[in-house]
Amino acid sequence: MTSFKKILKIIALALYLIAALLPFYWITITSLKDSKEIYSFPLKYWPSKISFNSYKQLFSFANFGIYFRNSAIVSLIAAFAAMIISMFSGYALSRLKMKRFKNRILLALYFTQMIPGFIIMAPLFTMLSQFQMTDKLSTLTILYITMVIAFSTIMAKSFFDRIPISLEEASMIDGCNIVQSLFKIVFPLTLPGLAAIFSFAFVNIWNELFLATMFIFSDDKMTIPVALNSFISKAGISWDIMSAGLVVSLLPTMIIFAFAQKYIIAGLTEGAVKG
Amino acid sequence: MKKARFFLLILLVFLVGITAFSKVVTLNFIEVLTSPGRTKVLKDIIADFEATHPGIKVNLISPPYEQADQKATLMLNTRQPLDIVEVRDYTIKQYVNNGRLENLEPYIANWADAKTLSVVANKAARTVNDTAYIVPQFFFIKGLFVRTDILKKLGVNYIPKTMSELVELCIAITDPSKNQYGFGFRGKSWEFKFSDLIATSFLSDINPSNIYKTKDGKIYFSDPRAVEGLRMYKRLFDEATPKDAINWGFNEQVNAFVSGITPFLIQDPDTVALVDNMLGREHYTVVPVPVGPSGKAYLDYGFTGLGIPSYSKHKKEAWEFIKYISSPEVNAKLCKEYGPLPIHTSTFEDDPYFSTGVYSAWGYMINHPEKYIFASYPLNSPKWPGWAEVHQQYMQAFLLGKISLEETVEKWTEYWAE
Amino acid sequence: MRNSQRKLFIMIIPAFVLLILFVYFPIVKGGVVAFQNYNLFDLTNVHFIGLDNFKAVITDRNFNFWRICLNTVLWIFVSLFFQFVLGFGLALLMRKPFKGRGIYSALVFYPWAVSGFAIGLVWAWMFNGQFGMINDLLMRLGIINNNIGFLSDPKFAMMSVIIANVWYGVPFFAIMLLAALQSVPKELYEAAEIDGATKLRQLFDVTIPYIKPTIISTTLLRTMWIMNFPEIIYGMTGGGPANSTNILATLMINKIYKFYDYGQGAAIGFIIMSVLFVYAFFYLRLTSSKEVVL
Repeated sequence: MTSFKKILKIIALALYLIAALLPFYWITITSLKDSKEIYSFPLKYWPSKISFNSYKQLFSFANFGIYFRNSAIVSLIAAFAAMIISMFSGYALSRLKMKRFKNRILLALYFTQMIPGFIIMAPLFTMLSQFQMTDKLSTLTILYITMVIAFSTIMAKSFFDRIPISLEEASMIDGCNIVQSLFKIVFPLTLPGLAAIFSFAFVNIWNELFLATMFIFSDDKMTIPVALNSFISKAGISWDIMSAGLVVSLLPTMIIFAFAQKYIIAGLTEGAVKG
Repeated sequence: MKKARFFLLILLVFLVGITAFSKVVTLNFIEVLTSPGRTKVLKDIIADFEATHPGIKVNLISPPYEQADQKATLMLNTRQPLDIVEVRDYTIKQYVNNGRLENLEPYIANWADAKTLSVVANKAARTVNDTAYIVPQFFFIKGLFVRTDILKKLGVNYIPKTMSELVELCIAITDPSKNQYGFGFRGKSWEFKFSDLIATSFLSDINPSNIYKTKDGKIYFSDPRAVEGLRMYKRLFDEATPKDAINWGFNEQVNAFVSGITPFLIQDPDTVALVDNMLGREHYTVVPVPVGPSGKAYLDYGFTGLGIPSYSKHKKEAWEFIKYISSPEVNAKLCKEYGPLPIHTSTFEDDPYFSTGVYSAWGYMINHPEKYIFASYPLNSPKWPGWAEVHQQYMQAFLLGKISLEETVEKWTEYWAE
Repeated sequence: MRNSQRKLFIMIIPAFVLLILFVYFPIVKGGVVAFQNYNLFDLTNVHFIGLDNFKAVITDRNFNFWRICLNTVLWIFVSLFFQFVLGFGLALLMRKPFKGRGIYSALVFYPWAVSGFAIGLVWAWMFNGQFGMINDLLMRLGIINNNIGFLSDPKFAMMSVIIANVWYGVPFFAIMLLAALQSVPKELYEAAEIDGATKLRQLFDVTIPYIKPTIISTTLLRTMWIMNFPEIIYGMTGGGPANSTNILATLMINKIYKFYDYGQGAAIGFIIMSVLFVYAFFYLRLTSSKEVVL
């Protein structure tokens, strides 16, 4: 690559970074401002005195530690479960030979994504309350798996589609059964895709607001988006706590990305095919 | 042997009786005007209540404000175990229509503190069918917030007492080149409360039980006096407010006030705590809302109250709690820490907190019924729920100059005409 | 082989049990409401009214249905176009390793991790015409002389909400396409290079055809999500000023939340689903995707 192209690339990467970070920067400095400085004018791009008051309030006044734990448990379990379930369903869809049946199934999956969530909220609530399933983190986990499963399956299928079927056939001739060949040959090849699916599911679940608001009643079962949303009241937004809460709530997803990108872009496919 | 058996039986009955008697009743209480500060006060009050009422526990459900009505409605309609529900002025008619609220008249009849309930509180309790389905908890009434420090800097040494004084002063101090404007305008989210306040002040014959009608039953918008008021409202927007205010809600209004861009703001008393926190009491004051050319101002009173779901299994205990939280002492505590105005007249008289400082503005308005008339929105009309959206979009189009004032009032009148 | 096909069938079951229980079953119950007079204001009078809800929505005097449809189309396709192009660009830039790529991806992908309502709040503040950061920066840089009413001027409002949506959506495409790009075998590029193809030709002749299944499914899904994603608009403008950013999804929320009219809300939901269904049909036909033939 010529150095000119290299510079262009660096500039492009820098522009993306600036655009992505601008709102984050604003929220972060707001969270570090003293509450009397948040609305000061002209705008201040650096707090005149750094104050961690908002963070102190966040963790003492609102039980943010508990919400954080709830969100982490629900998101990790649901995202992991969704990834496992979609590994199988995605693979099956990719390899099924009955074309019409397969298309019907795919269509049924796509259809779930066309449904506006607001319409199913009330019937879902009625149904689950009849079975005493409200106010439970386990119910929320199941709903979250459902929420991301269609997408995860479709994505998994599109990743499996690119893996030549000859690989499994070869392994099956070698005496592996279908499950063995799946775990030994196919899944390792799609690890980048699975990592992408996991991080996607995690992020969507981590941010989910409406189901959590409706189905959880107890304070000690609240999740982070609900807690953040409760900093909006009739008397507006408490930007001091809100900004601190946003910063804290973004950290886990940033860590997930930094971690998942290793798998997403590690180029495992190449190595595995050759090995 | 027989005796022993008999004795055992007696003991058993006794034990069963004791456990049944001392069984702790847990009340589920859903709040809807949730805010972190208020939830904390409610929890304190609940703790005090539980300490003095062994045998009753209160479980507070606090959904975030923006989804709270949705959730409360869904829970009521699916008969979730609820015993106390916070009902808003906007939702009370709906809940009563659907048979979800218990008639509280028999309870109130035997309640000693009911005697000191203010006139407005009694009216609010009986919003629907002239029957009390709720006990109101507090009131939101608009006051004029003034940045005295900014006015001083601008060399203004008086505070406007009439609407036209206010508008003229706002226009006079506006200087866009210095980013100085006059009025903290509201362009979205229940903005009609602000335009109604100004436009109705031009009329002297508004029907207090329906702010949209004059006493002879006509819809007020197309009345020539109201048209003049709305014209002034447009001037306020054009000449004393940043253009951006068309998209302003509560946050932006307060933001503009606190940052000093607009030294005048009309808001509810629960804004006081917020402005204190963001700005400090030394920079501002609150005065009565200016009166219009009619010499009057029509103030709407926003409220929420506590009701008992008609299907609740613990109505008696729920009433115990409502009685407790609505007593003059506890209500005063709630209002002091949360901001809005208390429900008992005695609180205004006994507690200096509500008769001095910024709160004296509201005390003044309440004590001058010849100038300040409390008027209700048509909360019982099936047209009411959609009104905010309909009003807002025509108001925005009017302020942007996309439709004429005549067309605007025609559209509004059309909406309310049967 | 037949045995393994049966095993494949079993593998699909868990996913579908969940979907049938928690999506398909409730949607049938919820869909019925679209044909009923179902207003929370008075539930004592719920009855079937045929297509009246649809008629009411389409002929609404206060909310021009066709204007809102036009807004919806604009909102979806302009957002989608920039999300995809910028996301693909980012994926291509990040394809080859460079120092600090892990940190870089965490920082550049995080917008995806912000919840919808928070995006609305933060961008509404940043786009504020009076004390917003964007106006302030543009003024300081000398690009503008007067504040722009990003959210209050109908000329700019749609553009502003779309910018927020693009900001949010770029990482999705970047991640999905980046993962897909990793699976393109090196041999294909080597062969193309031997044939003397330029980088650009390689992109169109090798890369895009190879990752086409991912492109088709991500763009199709994204269209559906943007259609059903009213949070940003709701938080930033509430559909205003004067209806200029009202889309079908925000109209639906308003009908449900503000008007309490579940019947009309569900009718709009029905319209959204039907439009997406027809769209998906033609989209898959046009992209000649052999996978889903409806």
